[in-house]
Amino acid sequence: MAGPARKVWVIWLTFAVALLLSVAPLPEFMQIGRPLWLALFVTYWALALPDRVGMTTAWVLGLAEDVLYGTLLGQNALILTLVAFLVLSLQQRLRMFPMWQQSLVLLVVYGLAQLVQLWLHALTGNRPPTLAFILPAVVSALLWPWVLVALRGLHQRLRVN
Amino acid sequence: MTSLLQIGPIPPSTLGSLREVTAIKPMLFAKGPSFGIHLLVLAVLSVGLMVFDSRFDTLRPVRSQMGLVLTPFYWLADLPARTWDRANEQFSSHSELLAENEKLKAEALLMQRRLQKLAALTEQNVRLRELLNSSALVDDDVLVGELIGVDPNPFTHRILIDKGGKDGVAVGQPVLDATGLMGQVVEVMPYTARVLLLTDTTHSIPVQVNRNGLRAIAVGSGNPESLELRHVADTADIREGDLLVSSGLGQRFPAGYPVATVKEVIHDSGQPFAIVRAVPTAALNRSRYVLLVFTDTRSPEQRANDAALAQEKADREAAERSSDAAGKPPSQEATPVAPPALESRPATDPAPGGAAPIPSDGDR
Repeated sequence: MAGPARKVWVIWLTFAVALLLSVAPLPEFMQIGRPLWLALFVTYWALALPDRVGMTTAWVLGLAEDVLYGTLLGQNALILTLVAFLVLSLQQRLRMFPMWQQSLVLLVVYGLAQLVQLWLHALTGNRPPTLAFILPAVVSALLWPWVLVALRGLHQRLRVN
Repeated sequence: MTSLLQIGPIPPSTLGSLREVTAIKPMLFAKGPSFGIHLLVLAVLSVGLMVFDSRFDTLRPVRSQMGLVLTPFYWLADLPARTWDRANEQFSSHSELLAENEKLKAEALLMQRRLQKLAALTEQNVRLRELLNSSALVDDDVLVGELIGVDPNPFTHRILIDKGGKDGVAVGQPVLDATGLMGQVVEVMPYTARVLLLTDTTHSIPVQVNRNGLRAIAVGSGNPESLELRHVADTADIREGDLLVSSGLGQRFPAGYPVATVKEVIHDSGQPFAIVRAVPTAALNRSRYVLLVFTDTRSPEQRANDAALAQEKADREAAERSSDAAGKPPSQEATPVAPPALESRPATDPAPGGAAPIPSDGDR
């Protein structure tokens, strides 16, 4: 019992890295397409270890992101929960898909998440003036194969379960 | 969605075909309803939190404590950039440093000259304020802060600075850099604070044209190089190159700090108002050091009362002094009084009645 429980820290460490990446300074022109790191990482762990990382974990991480970004508490929590929900409900298919197909499905999932994000931003009064809000979803979907390979490598090497 | 949820546990025969062999964990709770309910509960919780957070202030302390935990993230994220800067400093060449030193010396000289002029002006200002019986406060206190983070959302213009509640920073406090107003503090955490910049789309600031006092509201445009003046009449006297300073109306920003220079004025007969665009004077996306201004937190009535009390006290002291120096009528003493306000001016000035006009001539 102690064996598997000991490895949970790896998951949380990757989430910490995701949080770091999501506030890391980027050049001005890349700001607009900042990948949804936390969503990507939550996606991986929810696919790989659905009984460890679920919607509640996503929600807690979302709250952390809210505090980090200074948005209304619950805004990013709602988005991440939604992502986790979609990924978990598509989980059995997603695991069968080849990588590019996973990326396509995730593009839709993240696009939806960004759309909800847009609505919430509009409610709080700062609506981005362009369609560029969809860009992070595209970038994240393109990044998915790399994230998958990297995290799977980590996962298998450290035998997290 | 319900059809997706009704998929049962993976039959063991398909497990072999999965690529992530070590990662396999058959889902234990792939039952539809509990899944949906889970989402519903969390969504309701989030929405509830959002509404609560936007309507009430109760969550502020919780937030600021959580901010304390998460501040190191910004610090860490900024670490590579800072290390690079420091390494750069280490290796910048001797001649570069010499050149910079030269430049700074020249700049210091220029500044000193301006400061001399400023001393005279300050003194004159104090005198005029005394005449108007207004507040004794002339100079604001400032605190220097350093930028430690930028909001990752490209559509909001907010920055994180390294001064917080422990340094006395408060929500609504104005923030400047060396060349002008930058914005205001919108969230205070124990050791950090978030600053909303002038150019954020949700920010506006009351300004006036320095040349003629024309008042307007400068609204952020979402572009770090541009502000817009709303509802300026087509006939208003405003020109390209005009300096806009904060007007102090709205009682959030202190009056008289430079905000922007007018870049273009477009008169379009199809529009009810002139379109006026201005460039912020502060380097909003370049400044690393910011100044936090501590202005008077008293209400205008309180300030007037305090000023009246101070004046009364000064008058009384003056009367006492005049009765000490017997023979002189008290009416002559009215002008040179009010030493409490004059602490900042040069010590060499004993403020005899005749000193006032001299600097005012000298600074032309």
